Amino acid sequence: MLNQRYVKFILLGPCILYLLAIGIFPLIYSLYLSTQWIELTAGPETRFVGLGNFIKLSQDGRFWDTLRNTVVFVLSAVGLEFIIGFGLALILNREMKGQRLFRVLFLMPMMSTPVAVGYMFRMILNSEWGPMNHFLSLVGIPRVDWLGNPAGSLFSIVLIDVWEWTPFMFLSLLAGLQALPVDPYEASIIDGASRWQVFKYVTLPLLSPVIVAASLLRSIDAFKIFDVIYVTTAGGPGTSSETVTMYAQTIGMRYLSLGYASAVAFTLLVAVLLVSMIFINRMRKQQR
Amino acid sequence: MPKSVKLLDVLAWIVLLVATFAVLFPIWWTVTTSFKNPRDISTWPPPYVPFLNFEPTLDAWKSIFGGPGQLSSGGHAGSMIYRVVTNSLIIAVSSSALAITIGSFAAYSLSRFEFKRWKNNDIAFWILSNRMFPPVAMVIPFFLMFKVLNMLDTLPAVIIAHTAFSLPFVVWMMREFFLELPKEIEESAMIDGCSVFSVLRRIVLPLAAPSLAAVAVFCFIFSWNELLFALFLTYNQAQTLPMLVAGETHTGAPLWWLISAVGTVAIIPPILFAVLVQKYIIRGLTLGAVKG
Repeated sequence: MLNQRYVKFILLGPCILYLLAIGIFPLIYSLYLSTQWIELTAGPETRFVGLGNFIKLSQDGRFWDTLRNTVVFVLSAVGLEFIIGFGLALILNREMKGQRLFRVLFLMPMMSTPVAVGYMFRMILNSEWGPMNHFLSLVGIPRVDWLGNPAGSLFSIVLIDVWEWTPFMFLSLLAGLQALPVDPYEASIIDGASRWQVFKYVTLPLLSPVIVAASLLRSIDAFKIFDVIYVTTAGGPGTSSETVTMYAQTIGMRYLSLGYASAVAFTLLVAVLLVSMIFINRMRKQQR
Repeated sequence: MPKSVKLLDVLAWIVLLVATFAVLFPIWWTVTTSFKNPRDISTWPPPYVPFLNFEPTLDAWKSIFGGPGQLSSGGHAGSMIYRVVTNSLIIAVSSSALAITIGSFAAYSLSRFEFKRWKNNDIAFWILSNRMFPPVAMVIPFFLMFKVLNMLDTLPAVIIAHTAFSLPFVVWMMREFFLELPKEIEESAMIDGCSVFSVLRRIVLPLAAPSLAAVAVFCFIFSWNELLFALFLTYNQAQTLPMLVAGETHTGAPLWWLISAVGTVAIIPPILFAVLVQKYIIRGLTLGAVKG
């Protein structure tokens, strides 16, 4: 029989080793790569350039554009998803027949393969025969070139993300609302609070852990958006809807400049880790 | 005030109907487009309802599932779909199985034993932080590593990559589950002389089976839908279904009826699975921060 003292290490070991080898090592390797000059199109040789890639990055206008696009995308998508999702959750937080059915229904967008979702919306937002423009024309709004014009392409990506992920906000917040204790509500109603007061002084504070957790998680994910953009606008027209992931993928796969692509990807990593740390710290406090 | 309550109910139903329409319409459009003739794609007003607005045909389905049909002007053979679906299935099933096995052992260890040098909580949160890394920061090192190992365009390369992303999730979710499970049964079995492994097999595994299944489904869906790793690590033999779908993007005028059919094939398994684990979805998607 195995010595009981070592069992815990035997059970945990493989997982830690796996994550060190396949998670942490690539990360360190990626940091190393970002200090290298690697152009696979020019040949296999590499050379050390120190912070060269990051200096190039700071002067790369296209990089700053993609960073701005990413931040604008995350803020507007998560913001809209929160507003719509919270609204829906508040309206539907009641005894209703068929609620289970609707919950199942709302799972569909978030579980659908993102590339397939991208194509769905390329059809729906098609400027010539897409149903979206047809619906708009019914209320007298003229044709919009959703994906093909630089002013609207990023907004169209936001729209697609809102379709895909509002259900996440809605279902999390609904679950949060339904888990709230009843007593504070009864007390505030006895004290004669108005509906708005109940919402502001009871619901919001009680729900805030859920609101923060859901928004942070959604933001972390939104920072990484790639699939939908890849098949809809591919970052275009120009670079109007290009995000950091998209840019790093283009540099890496099309130009095969792996050192520079690593530097670009690393800046995204730093941004995402900052948001992740806020999330993880909050979870830690909750667990105590 | 029964009157205002009724008004709210009506409002709730209207909102629900609008939301339902918004959720379902894109899926409806894709599924129906897969039954359209090329000539029905760009008509105006858009044809919404089969039989009523357009004559449905099985051509797209026939051409993706064999026959001499082509998936795109780029010239993918029809039989491609069998291979990519098989690849996607193998990758998704293996990476989920791997992550579940390694991950739940680790989760059990973290929930039942005490670690001294690093606290259990610290280890758990360190594992969780692995989940947050943006894939694009990992994908270039992966590409070079697998290139050196001569493993590019093989299924194991993608399986290893996907497992790395599922593993932290498995540990995190299963640890929570084990912490909720009472220890007493296991302890008395240990006192009766059972080894840790037989306790795991005879007591913990049967109790954990439903949660394990739910967590595995999440891993499966993640892997099934994943594009970026597959894009970097494979180019031909090991291509996955999302790549086949995405591959239609840069090749001339898109053949919408075919893309819709392939897209429909792609979204069916994750949606079906999601319905099965409906109860756990919010818990899973929020990493346990919201108990659904």
